[in-house]
Order: sequence, then structure tokens, then C-alpha cells
Amino acid sequence: MNAKANKNHVTSIEPAYYQAVTEAIRKEAVKILKDETVVGVVGYLPGRRQGTASPALVTTVEEAEKLIFSPACVNNLSVYLTKAKKGVLKQGKVGIVAKGCDMRALAGLMTESQLQREDLFIIGVVCPGVYGFGVERTGTLTEANIARKCRECTVHMPEGADVAAGTHTELADLTPEEAEEMARIEAMPQAERWAFWKEHFSRCIRCMACRQVCPFCYCEQCLCDKNRPQAVESSPRPAGNMAWHLVRAMHLAGRCGGCAECERVCPMDIPLNLLNRRMAKELKELYDFEAGLAPVDKGPLNQYKEDDDQSFIK
Amino acid sequence: MPQIITEQNLRNLIDLLVKEAKLVVGPKLSGSVVLYEPLTAGSDLTLDALPRRSSKELFFPICEDILSYKRENGSMKVTDVDRSQFPEAVLIGAPPCDAGSPAILDAVMSWDYKDEFYLERRRKSTIVGIACTKGDDACFCRAVGLAPDAEAGSDLFLTPLKDGSYACKAVTEKGEALVAAHRNLFAEGAGGDPVPFVDQGVGKLDLVKIKKWLEEHFEDPLWEKIADICVGCGACAFICPACHCFDINDEGSTDDGVRRKHWDACGFAKFTNHASGHNPRDVQNKRYRNRIMHKFKYYDGKFGKTLCTGCGRCIRACPVGIDIAEILETINSKQD
Ligand code: SF4
Ligand code: SF4
Ligand code: SF4
Ligand code: SF4
Ligand code: SF4
Ligand code: SF4
Repeated sequence: MNAKANKNHVTSIEPAYYQAVTEAIRKEAVKILKDETVVGVVGYLPGRRQGTASPALVTTVEEAEKLIFSPACVNNLSVYLTKAKKGVLKQGKVGIVAKGCDMRALAGLMTESQLQREDLFIIGVVCPGVYGFGVERTGTLTEANIARKCRECTVHMPEGADVAAGTHTELADLTPEEAEEMARIEAMPQAERWAFWKEHFSRCIRCMACRQVCPFCYCEQCLCDKNRPQAVESSPRPAGNMAWHLVRAMHLAGRCGGCAECERVCPMDIPLNLLNRRMAKELKELYDFEAGLAPVDKGPLNQYKEDDDQSFIK
Repeated sequence: MPQIITEQNLRNLIDLLVKEAKLVVGPKLSGSVVLYEPLTAGSDLTLDALPRRSSKELFFPICEDILSYKRENGSMKVTDVDRSQFPEAVLIGAPPCDAGSPAILDAVMSWDYKDEFYLERRRKSTIVGIACTKGDDACFCRAVGLAPDAEAGSDLFLTPLKDGSYACKAVTEKGEALVAAHRNLFAEGAGGDPVPFVDQGVGKLDLVKIKKWLEEHFEDPLWEKIADICVGCGACAFICPACHCFDINDEGSTDDGVRRKHWDACGFAKFTNHASGHNPRDVQNKRYRNRIMHKFKYYDGKFGKTLCTGCGRCIRACPVGIDIAEILETINSKQD
């Protein structure tokens, strides 16, 4: 299973590390395609521009030999396994390259009966981190260009993969920007907090990128697309935007795996992962539950127990 | 006669226009992003970064009311939006990939149906374009027939000079009128050396050849290849200076509400979903194909223009790294 932990704290992750992971992924992908364990592998291919990569569904050995892993491999590929997006699974068992944070989505999707473990071959990536948005993409990962979520990553070592690519190494002593920001917002008086989100949501253009990349937004009929009757205003105006984001935060509570994809893709820089983290904190406090650490029968919000905390009913 | 304007006078010009009760819109830092927003003073203008969304929203807002309705004494009263109230506007600091967009969109907005909301704003606006010196490897304006110093769409065109001032060229009567009305801010003379432009990663594209290939490849494995990874959001269309799809929704109650026009995108699964339930573009590959076809074939066929200014915004923003310039290069290099 997982590679032996070789925990190094460093101040930069050099391209050589990603190259080693790349080699391991290629080797494994080629093998499982050759021996027909899988019909395809969801992984990453390099982009045209320097320091970019994009998701790819590879089905041949030649393509598999081009797969990469670099700090540009930011996407959570599990979105391609949900029925709302692609449903590549229907063709047979599929291989998928998954970082620790992406594995949480896979576990969550299994919990929700969207995926079966035996239909997947998971190539786990022992991941030191990926690029943040709009940073210098030179190949070396440093404190200056690492993604916010990676600063506080607890899943560098993927658990429960079929194989793991890489050894453990991570950047040392990173400031937990997200935690600090969350603490700052929690300390605000309610009116100020409301104003903070109002300001952010007023910029939302309803491009729905946040919904479309989320592995848990797999509903075929989203409440927000419905206009007869209309539940949430679909035009990008402050009131409807606020409603949409509240609905979304509630729908993701107890389910969101924390991949921060929604935040990464937002063209308007709305810090959506703060909402996700806040909801996750509620779930932890109320139900001692953390989504996506391992598949479970039912999440706490999908079942009723007599001894559930009811103190929130006022 | 060529003119120059110093940076300070450019900011003074904005101050004056604001005083004249004009709506002045330009790149402005808004939170962590630069957007085209109303400027309240010359000091608001920032020319450091390409705004995240294009300037089309000055003419084609994200969302606008087009009428309101109210039931009174059993009958419905409908009130139109008074378009004569739209303000006189000056768009300032738009690079060629943005300034050029209305020149493309006018065609579709004044075709069989005249979109008076868009057209009224166009009539009342003056565009001050600026030569672009800050492109990156997603830019490809040259490849689609524009250039970092293309004047298309601008009424007045500014070229940044190495000494920090700008060379000005009045391209249209609107531009001349703007200079004439604020003559004291401009000085005569050709100015010094222009700031050099950035190289672009994409070579010249043969748009005629690309169109021909598209005509012959409505069905092609390429569409599946792209659509396999496209997640079907509206990001690419919403931030595009040339995309102009919109939806109309009545919002409110059956007794009292507003009809609104707001952005739509061919990436969305419900784009072209008919009331019958039939959807001619029911899967993602048909929708992404529509995006390329519309930009490089249909629009050209109908209006003789390419529906893309090469701004690269969709490339930078696509959540899954779909690169329209790369797709065009692929098509451009195809032999059949
Ligand atoms: S959160 Fe952890 S596993 Fe996910 S990309 Fe960052 S470092 Fe890798
Ligand atoms: S990605 Fe951002 S702008 Fe788009 S709908 Fe989501 S929050 Fe709004
Ligand atoms: S809500 Fe955001 S962080 Fe949570 S799983 Fe979805 S995309 Fe990832
Ligand atoms: S299609 Fe992309 S590159 Fe072309 S104008 Fe639109 S956003 Fe810019
Ligand atoms: S059909 Fe697509 S590409 Fe064409 S204008 Fe509409 S959103 Fe843009
Ligand atoms: S932004 Fe990318 S993923 Fe979204 S619709 Fe456009 S091409 Fe598809």
C-alpha cells in the first residue's frame, strides 16, 4: 500500500520530486492498461503553457506514457467519476490518479453510493503540494507559490490507494493562512461577518464553475437551475447569489472533502473554502464526524438518531 | 497632429469626466481582483493587470432589468425600463482585446432584432483604448487578426511611452470630440519611444483554413476529446469579451416582479434546452463544439467577423485547462 514514510521538511520541492512521481504514475498506468485491469486512467497531461497541466482520460499505453505529475496538477479528478459529469465508469474499471485531498472525495462518493471501490484502481500520489492561483509557475514549489489548502494539509500520504507514487516530503513551517483567516472571520461581530460575505457574494457572476468542479455537486437537477417554480434567483444579483451560496454550503455540509476546488476555480476570487471549512468544523463539533477520511455507511446528516444534538433548535 | 498626454493628465481627465457627470469605467482594483468598474476619481485607475472580466459588461451588463410588472386592480401593469436614462459613458484603459469587442458585437446586436439596451449604451459611450504591454503566454490577439497596438473599436487610442506618458490618436469623431473638449490636458507632439510589446506564444492562425475545416468536421473525434474533460461551467463564456449569450427570467411573484436579462453560456447543460424537453446540444461535446463553431465559423459566415479577440481569458480561467489557442493551432495544422 502506501510507500514507507520518509518525512522530510524542506523549504522548496524541486522538479525532481515531481519527476519521480511522474515516472511511478506512468509505470503503474501502463501496467494496468496493458494487463487490462482498467479500461482507462484519469490523470494529468501537460498543458501548452509553461507550468500548466490538465486532466486527461487516457486509454492507450502511448498516452499513459505521457501522464505527468507536477505542482500544476491541481484538479481533483474524481469529478470525472460522478454521473453528473462524465460517467466514464460505465465502460469498466477505471484507474485514477489521486492526491490525498482527492482521495477524500473518492471516500465520500463511496459513502454516497456513487462509486464502488472495486470499480476503481487508485494510484495515490504522495503529494507535497500544488500551485496556488495566479502564482509563478517555475517548477519549484515554495512557500510563495503553494496553494492555500496545502499549507495545512493533513493527507500528504494517501490512505487506501492501490499503489502510492512518491515518498513523503513537505514544506516546513508554513503559515496556516486559511485557519488564520477563518479565526479572523469568526471573531467578527455577526453584522460584520454578514457584510464580509455579502461583499464577496456580490461579485459572484453565477458561472457555476464552483458547482461544476465539485465532486459532490452531482445532482442531475440542481435547485439553482430551476425556474418554474424558481427556488433561487438564477440571475447574478446579490440576493440570489447569497441564497445560492447558503444553499450550497448547507448541501455540502458533512459531505465536502475539502479539496478546495470550488475556491480554486472561482474567477471572482471568492474564498469558498472558508465556508466549507466552517461547515466541516460544525460537523466535527456536533457529530464528531470528518467527511472523507474513510467510506462510511451513512453520513451524520443522512440519518436520524434520537440522541442527536438538538441545541440548535431555538 | 499627434498628441501626448501625461499620466497625471490622464488621471485629471478622469476627474473632469466624473465631474461632468459621465459614467467613467476603467480597470480598478476590487478586493483581490482587477475589474472594469465605475471610477470615482483618476486615482482609481490601475493599468497593472488585465481585468479578470472583459469590458463588454459596460454594454452588456451581467444582469439588467428590462421591464417590471405589477398586478393592480386585477390587471397587469407593465413598465418598461427608460433607456433614455442610461448615462453618457467613457470606457478608459481597455486593451485592444477588450476595446475591439463592441466592434464585433455591434453586428449581432443590430441584426434582425435590434437590442436597444446594448445599442443605446453603445451610442452613449466613448472608448479610450490603450496599447497593451503586459500580455502573457495565454494571449493570442495577433493570431486572430488584432494586435497589442490594434486600434479597432477604440475612439481614442493611447500608446504607453517609456517616459510614462501616452501618445494619443483620435480614431473616430467621438475620440476627436473627447480631445477637443479637454484640449488643455493634451500636448502636441509625437512623444518618445513606446513601451515594447510582449511576445505571444501562438503564431499567426489561418482563420480561413480553420473555418473551412470546421465546415467539414461537424462530426469529429476532436470534440469528444475536449468534452471528455470540459466540466460544463460558464466561466469561459462569462469572462469572454465576445460571448454574448443571455437568458431572460421573470423574477418575483406572479403579482409583482421584474424581467431580467442576464448572461448565459453554451457550456451549461441547459443551454438550448427546449420547453418540450428536447435538447439539441444534450451532451458536452456538442456544446463545446458549438463554442468553437460559433466563434470561428457561424459568426464569420453571418457577419464576416471572428468572435474572439485572443484575450486568453478563457485559457487562464478554465478550471480544467482547456486551451482554445491550442485547439485552434491543432485545427490549423490539420491536413484534411
Ligand atoms: S492538500 Fe495535500 S494532498 Fe491536496 S494538493 Fe495540497 S498537499 Fe497535496
Ligand atoms: S465560481 Fe465563483 S463566480 Fe462562479 S458561481 Fe461560483 S462563486 Fe460565483
Ligand atoms: S465543496 Fe469545494 S472543497 Fe468541498 S468537495 Fe466540493 S469542490 Fe471540494
Ligand atoms: S474566446 Fe477566449 S480568448 Fe477568445 S475572446 Fe473569448 S475569452 Fe478571449
Ligand atoms: S454560443 Fe457559446 S461561444 Fe457563442 S456567444 Fe454564446 S456562450 Fe459564447
Ligand atoms: S471554462 Fe472550461 S470547463 Fe468550463 S465550460 Fe469552458 S471549456 Fe468547459
